[in-house]
Amino acid sequence: MEIHEILAQNRFTVTQTGLRLNDTDVQVVDNPNVGVSGGNALSLLALNRNRNRNRNRNRNRNRNRNRNRNLDPVAGGGMLEPWKERAKLHELSEHWVDLPIPLPPTIERLRVEAVDLLIKQVLRRTPQEIHREEEIFREANIELSGYLRPLGIEDHGGYEATESLFYLILALTDEIGLRYKDRYSVLRPNQVEPRLRPLLPNPPHQSYPSNHSFQSFSIAFLFARLLPEHPASSEMFNSARRIAENREWAGLHYASDTDAGYQLARMVAPVLEEVCEEQMLAAQAEWY
Amino acid sequence: MKVTGREDYPQYDALWHLQTLGVLDKHNAPLDWSAEPPAKPTRVAVIDTSVAVAHPNLAGVINKELSLDFFSARLGSFPFLPKDQEKIGELDLKWDTEIAEGLPLTGKLLAELVDRLSKSSKPHSKGIQPCTSPAFSAHGTNVAGLVGARPCIAEQVLPTGEKAPLALPYSGVDPMCEIVQISNNFDPEPEGLIMAFLYAELIDADVVLLPRNIADPHRIVPELGDIKLGDQSLTDLIRQAGTQDHHTELWSELSALIVNVSQSRPVVCAAGNANEETGIYPANLASDHNGIVSVGAVNAKGFCSSYSVSRNITVMAPSNDAEIFDAAEVRLDEKSANYDPTGVPDSNSNCKYSSFDVISTDVPGLSGYSGSVFLNETVDGALLDYGSYFSRFGGTSAASALVAGFLSLGRSTGAYEANSGLVAKSWLLGKCHVQKGDDEEFCMPCWSGTPMFPDA
Repeated sequence: MEIHEILAQNRFTVTQTGLRLNDTDVQVVDNPNVGVSGGNALSLLALNRNRNRNRNRNRNRNRNRNRNRNLDPVAGGGMLEPWKERAKLHELSEHWVDLPIPLPPTIERLRVEAVDLLIKQVLRRTPQEIHREEEIFREANIELSGYLRPLGIEDHGGYEATESLFYLILALTDEIGLRYKDRYSVLRPNQVEPRLRPLLPNPPHQSYPSNHSFQSFSIAFLFARLLPEHPASSEMFNSARRIAENREWAGLHYASDTDAGYQLARMVAPVLEEVCEEQMLAAQAEWY
Repeated sequence: MKVTGREDYPQYDALWHLQTLGVLDKHNAPLDWSAEPPAKPTRVAVIDTSVAVAHPNLAGVINKELSLDFFSARLGSFPFLPKDQEKIGELDLKWDTEIAEGLPLTGKLLAELVDRLSKSSKPHSKGIQPCTSPAFSAHGTNVAGLVGARPCIAEQVLPTGEKAPLALPYSGVDPMCEIVQISNNFDPEPEGLIMAFLYAELIDADVVLLPRNIADPHRIVPELGDIKLGDQSLTDLIRQAGTQDHHTELWSELSALIVNVSQSRPVVCAAGNANEETGIYPANLASDHNGIVSVGAVNAKGFCSSYSVSRNITVMAPSNDAEIFDAAEVRLDEKSANYDPTGVPDSNSNCKYSSFDVISTDVPGLSGYSGSVFLNETVDGALLDYGSYFSRFGGTSAASALVAGFLSLGRSTGAYEANSGLVAKSWLLGKCHVQKGDDEEFCMPCWSGTPMFPDA
């Protein structure tokens, strides 16, 4: 049938309850036969209200939650071990075990990068940068305020699925990042440059890539997938970069670690959107 | 006394926006054109999220050989090539383009992209999967449908288990065009968008559509460039992350590149959904000297949508409306059950509010803007519902998609010459009708006659 015949002989009408095809009665559910005879056995459309536009959600149901909850996989209601998602992740391992992040810099190059970290170490005490210390301590263990604040949902109720999704991403990416760190076994900055005095103890794993960077950017990339029209979806990337760079200011990571974390997050995103689809849809529903 | 809150919303034709644009008549028959596809279909490059390519109304619309995803791989992964295809093969591209002349960093990226697109390279560059799951493709699917969806006959499953044909009478503005989806992550990082615009040039798109903003830190509206605290610029002082000097350069080149790309075809940009005076970036690059077209939104009553402005905008096109309650305007939905007259000034614009949305194609099944009650999208390719295949849409995204479709229809019917953004834009302006409101007038494209507003 020519496309214009289809348009001439059929019509979609938008009604209060949904979309109606032709003039058949909207009784599909009550009396399926009506629909069948009219050739329209299908359901009505539950056309959701549009949410393409920026909307301010203002759900002030304060639940007195501690905004600095750490990722605690068992106790405290953080989350259960995501065993189903881990199983799915491992099924897809060929898509993420060998992604082309650049090979780590040479020791010579790391020494050059470490000079940058020495400069940051000094600037850390200047009035312009002094507040970074507080951020660094807060971000030592992964917590969500850095992600929830740009979205305006920190301390708001009704966004539990969004928070759960972020915790899930952090848990899954932790494991992926550790494999890459182990592969390249890059020394931490103060092992290369002893004049560095890191603000926090070195974590018990290697430097390249930075998991703080990888995990933060993973949240930003997945949020950009599930809610690209949210005005803060670009801002999530800036927050992620800030969290990642704070690890440089702490003397724990080179800039090349940050960059590799970013690249890994971008390339792992297709795997994560498949593994976390259910949780992403649940999170999306909180915003729609 | 006025009766409010009755929720007695009018019904309307799902294709009202095409009637308003003068493309279809009230019987949804084409007005002064016919669907005779040109030998070479008009090519619309849509730079947006990914798209649900399996939507029946998008069958044959999305170019599966050329659509390219830049979300995950910096040099792009082809998402729709057959899984067993090992090489991308010979692509018919504009290899000799001079688009990056005078843009040294962009030139280097172009060389990398051209190399990556050579015939022996793999669909998924370096094994990186494309990030294009249909589940998270609602925006791209709605935008693509408005531009180029085709009415079709699909198959449905009847409650008896038998199958029967099912008409899906939905159409984009130009049901003859082809869409090359250039999907992107919109990370505030210039390289990905430079790649997207370079690719739009390489595929020699007839129309480029960017239905959103670009988060260039130097060009976010309002621009802060001139504001100084002491001797430091506010832009620098509020920066969250370290400065990357080459980024500053790349952002400038991106801006120049968009203008360059618009010299050879129109580049249609959404003007923004928050009353931005001269449009968001890059819509605000539109000028008399380039082919950039900024698009604002008009509701089904013929008034500027409450979130859109008409001044300094190239053209306005149909879209939805929204409630607003501020110093400039009070426009509330009096039919809404939530309507509360408390504090509403006597001189309000409630009568300008329209409840009409623009309807477009949506991701089939559970996900997308409108979901299904069924867990399966189809049974052996036959539809279980049609509701989840369409959704309400709006904003200047929708309006810009309609204008891109309008320009595409002009190209498909040979109404203007190809290869010039300025020629296309002046044709578009020539097709415009001046719509007069209370204290404003604006340009609205209308294919035939004058725009009809079904909610007026």
